[in-house]
Amino acid sequence: MGRLTDILTIARWEVKKSFTMMSREVLPFAVILFVLLVAVTGFAAQSGMHLQDGMYEVGVDDPQIAELIASDARFSVYQTDAATLGKNRNAFDLVIINGQLYNSQTERAKAAQKTLERDYAKYVNTVYNRETDLFAAYPLWIDVQTVKSELTFLSTQSGQYVQAAPSRKAPVPEGEISNVPTPSPALDFTKEELRQELVKTNAKNTQISRYTEVLSSESTMGRFKTPSQLSPPLPFDSIILVFVFIFPLYFTSQFFMMSIMNERIERKGEVLLSTPVASSSIILGKMIPYFIGMVAICAALTLYVRAPLIIILPLIPVIIFFLANALLIGMLSRSFKELSFISIFFSTVATSYLFFPSIFANVHVISLISPLTLIVLSVQGAPWTVTDYLYSTSLFWLTGAVLFYIGMKNFKEERLFSEKRLLPRFREFLSEIMNRQHPFLSVFLLTGFTIPFVFMVQLMSLTLFFNLPMPYSLVLLLIFAALVEECAKAIGIYTLFAQDPSFLTWKNLLAACAATAIGFLVAEKLLLFITLAQISESIFGSILFLSLGVLWMPLLLHFVGVLIVACSLKFWGRKGLVIGIVLATVVHCLYNLYFILGWIG
Amino acid sequence: MKARHLSIIAKKEFRGLFNERTILLAILLQLFIAMFSSFLMVGLTSMYDPSSLSKYSRHKYNIAYAGNDSAVLKYLESSPDFRVYSMDLSTGVAALKERKLSAVIYVPDTSPAAEEPVKITLYTLTNDLQSAIVDVKLKDIFLKYEKDLRLIRVDRLSELPIPIQVPKTTGGGDFYEFVYGLLIPLLVFMPAIIASALVIDLITEEYQHETLETLISTPVTFSEMVWGKVLACELLVPIQAGAWLLLLMVNGIAIENAGLILLQVVVTSLILILLGALTALHYRERTAAQFIFSTALVVVILFVLALPSNPLNILTRLAVGTAGPEQWLVLAATGGIIIILGYLTQKYAEKVGKSHHTG
Repeated sequence: MGRLTDILTIARWEVKKSFTMMSREVLPFAVILFVLLVAVTGFAAQSGMHLQDGMYEVGVDDPQIAELIASDARFSVYQTDAATLGKNRNAFDLVIINGQLYNSQTERAKAAQKTLERDYAKYVNTVYNRETDLFAAYPLWIDVQTVKSELTFLSTQSGQYVQAAPSRKAPVPEGEISNVPTPSPALDFTKEELRQELVKTNAKNTQISRYTEVLSSESTMGRFKTPSQLSPPLPFDSIILVFVFIFPLYFTSQFFMMSIMNERIERKGEVLLSTPVASSSIILGKMIPYFIGMVAICAALTLYVRAPLIIILPLIPVIIFFLANALLIGMLSRSFKELSFISIFFSTVATSYLFFPSIFANVHVISLISPLTLIVLSVQGAPWTVTDYLYSTSLFWLTGAVLFYIGMKNFKEERLFSEKRLLPRFREFLSEIMNRQHPFLSVFLLTGFTIPFVFMVQLMSLTLFFNLPMPYSLVLLLIFAALVEECAKAIGIYTLFAQDPSFLTWKNLLAACAATAIGFLVAEKLLLFITLAQISESIFGSILFLSLGVLWMPLLLHFVGVLIVACSLKFWGRKGLVIGIVLATVVHCLYNLYFILGWIG
Repeated sequence: MKARHLSIIAKKEFRGLFNERTILLAILLQLFIAMFSSFLMVGLTSMYDPSSLSKYSRHKYNIAYAGNDSAVLKYLESSPDFRVYSMDLSTGVAALKERKLSAVIYVPDTSPAAEEPVKITLYTLTNDLQSAIVDVKLKDIFLKYEKDLRLIRVDRLSELPIPIQVPKTTGGGDFYEFVYGLLIPLLVFMPAIIASALVIDLITEEYQHETLETLISTPVTFSEMVWGKVLACELLVPIQAGAWLLLLMVNGIAIENAGLILLQVVVTSLILILLGALTALHYRERTAAQFIFSTALVVVILFVLALPSNPLNILTRLAVGTAGPEQWLVLAATGGIIIILGYLTQKYAEKVGKSHHTG
């Protein structure tokens, strides 16, 4: 009960502090800027974005066509007679003479033609949309019915297909055949309703709105489409989601970061630390206003774009992850510029982790490692299950929790006001969470807690290497995965060694290695069991998370790997760390290679 | 103002950056993004044009055709991508659910010349890589059929669009616009934004760490200190932007006029850096200054983007090689704004400097 009051008091202070600071100086300017922002947005909406103006050059002989093309600012249009154009054909990307388009065959010209084709299709649609006899202009309508496959995700997850071998005979379903009613040949909408929708989609298909479309709800006609409307989802859709949802989160977490940093400047936080309030209460209290703020921002944005409120659920672990990182960054950096660089670095990495997989939403199960994919799915009205939620958010929950724990343990004077370099500081942070009475248990737990981070990095590498040609992607993944795992296992041993080099007697060394290996294995299997069964069964997964079957082999591998690192630390001191990790990685790779080769052959 | 004092301050800031190894982070960041943008290229190409994934295009997809005969059946049969089976609708859908088929098409007995449209029902799988590819390939066939139908019904149309005959594309060009019209201007311009945020850090740090008094007591004047910091940040811009251009070129993206691009970025970035310096001088506290500055940044960038021939547009045009002499006009306008902002910064710094010496 006392704890709760402490937390609430700190939270109130935090709100008051930031408001008094904000209101005096910042608020008037912020209001002016906001008004300007609204004005500028209006101006931009009217005048359009002029980033890509004049990218292509087109020569045309017909004034009507020239006018048509010039309506797209991406084209610089030159209108002269056919003879001149014919002579200077290669001075332009595209030349249109007598209604025939010629392409100068450069990359730019190819892109220009694609853009022109899109513009032309739009123009053609505008003409057809005016037609009184709509069904002469649009004689074909496609009614798209999606069928949920009764096989699970697992069947397509590794990027291979599950399909019957090609045969001359028509495939025969094995299961029960339920009767599918014969579709009626009539459309369910009147001609005028269809026309309105056609006009609407045609007008929408502009440069910016094709990115924003993902946020507006499905068209009223839903699955009725003309053939030209039948297109796969645009992969850039989720860019807009990143900007709409993740950017404000990143922004708000900056304030939290600064609030933590400010406590450290000139030892201002000493007063707070000298109170009898537990450090965890201080952190929670300081964090809560920002957490509530971020959730409120997300809810407001969701309501604004009229998306279902359920998308808050996948955002919450992302918020916690951002705040946990903000806490540590605020505690670790020595100066403002370091804070800026680390936070920019963090946000880029986090954004990539969130963004890149989600462009494959609807296409590939790998996309589900990002919570953003769940948002894309929700916005599209597609359902996702609790398993999907666990799968894409569990790593965020876990890493967030671990980082918070590290932050709480270190939120005290000697850590906050130390002026050491970044890496030694981080090592100190880690040694703080190690219990000296139970060093082996600590190593066991520490290694176990690196697993969510290891998974995150490895999954990122999976998305990174997934699209490279086959042998390279496997080889790179093989090396990278081994390196990451060896680094993670080295952390515990290195921290022990840095604390007290004399601790690593041979007996202790062996025990610590064993604790590390067991910790790694247990946590790995545990997390795999909960979440990643889907990926772990593909060939990529088999490298990352090899050997679900026999347990003693991987245990031995982990043990040998960490033993190599520990020994090189013992022989060469701190310099031995890099050598040890490299050696261990080589051994790890050889082991994996042996099994993969055996597995393939 | 003495050049030597400026360089002393600039050197001090660079030393700070190197000592903290923050530069290292910045380089790592660039490599990371570059790596991802190459992923983006390969990955998105396959998304946009699925047939570029050779392992998928070699494949023939099984399709069930139900209902009445039509030109669609003929097109499907002659297509190299599909293997068509005439099937009963219910059986087809059941086989689709078991993934023995990729799609089922039902065509009604509407006559091509009928008053009503032809409504084809297409059954595909939800959430599937395959069905995305199948959709793209089927779209081509439907478009062909739509053209046929339109031709049959052409007498009923009152207005025909101006015809343009377009040659068949040989593939490629899908990402040109994304890379040159979005990725390059944004990446190359990013160092300018980083530098302007950095100048705020450098200036507010002197205030908040209370190191200002020590610095003022040296022969370096306050305005020299400000300009030294501006100089340090400005020097970072061509280094980082140049690294971007190099990385993009290593990734196989040909960029024309790299020198002119750098010139534009360096000059334009000075506007942002001076704006940052002014904000920092006004607030003397990082949270407030960064908040106001980043909001102002959004306003400024949005406004600039809405202007025709803006500096970012010039970057795009330089990169694709269609920039004309108007780039010099833009450069001159940017220079004019810099002179105004520079004057303001100098006056403000002098004012602040005086108050420090007297108070």
